[in-house]
Amino acid sequence: MELPKYRWDGKEALLQAYKPPQTCKLMTHRILIIDDEDDIRQVAAMSLETVAGWDVVLANSGKQGIERASTEQPDAILLDVMMPEMDGPTTLLKLKANGSTSHIPVLLLTAKVQGPDQRKFAEMGVKAILFKPFDPLTLARQISAALGWKEGG
Amino acid sequence: MTNRDRISPDENEAQSQEQKLQSMISALWERSRHTVVERAARLRTAGDLLSDNRLDHATQQSAVDSAHKLAGVLGTFGLPRGTDLAREAEVLFGQPTPPGKVDIERLQVLLAELTTLIDRGPLGPS
Repeated sequence: MELPKYRWDGKEALLQAYKPPQTCKLMTHRILIIDDEDDIRQVAAMSLETVAGWDVVLANSGKQGIERASTEQPDAILLDVMMPEMDGPTTLLKLKANGSTSHIPVLLLTAKVQGPDQRKFAEMGVKAILFKPFDPLTLARQISAALGWKEGG
Repeated sequence: MTNRDRISPDENEAQSQEQKLQSMISALWERSRHTVVERAARLRTAGDLLSDNRLDHATQQSAVDSAHKLAGVLGTFGLPRGTDLAREAEVLFGQPTPPGKVDIERLQVLLAELTTLIDRGPLGPS
């Protein structure tokens, strides 16, 4: 007896039915944003809280950022490069020299990075460089990708 | 309505989040506008002083800083062209030697465009 022949075309149906969400829920993380610009701090915080549901801690200077990093123990730090008094690279060196913050991954957020700067920052232990202007809708994904964080529950 | 027309709960949530975020960013733009306008005005003043060959070092440095800040923030608010213009202004003001006539004329043109863009504000998502 010849068995009926089936052509399974479920794959195509599944592909049509499934549309991945445009905004994935990400695991909850705590991020410290250090930036002297109010606008940037607020947009980044709105973005990470609204899109990804992360906890956000803010600091408006390198000095305040080092204090917050030590007390809040964030999962990552988003650090502006050009800040008055203590700039990003100096803040980074102090974070790396402090036993209570040296383990926290740091991502630089900058509007101006040239080739030699990127190499210098990499040597200083920066995990990634994100560029201003950033897209508020994708900032959390950029951070997750840079740190190897998996999306999803 | 076909299956393709229906919006899944995940898509719905994503759209809702996006709209919420855009709305929050628009509100923030309105609150921050005066800072942006002040920075653009600082650039125009520096540009005028440069045209008159009266630009001092402190004003020049202030113009570079203002242009840098504008470059960083305008695109995030949905004005990517503003970021491009501000970056160009940062380079022109930051030159170690005084800019020539062509650069000064270019500065005046781009600062006028930047002012118009900021006055108009973001028209939507970038």
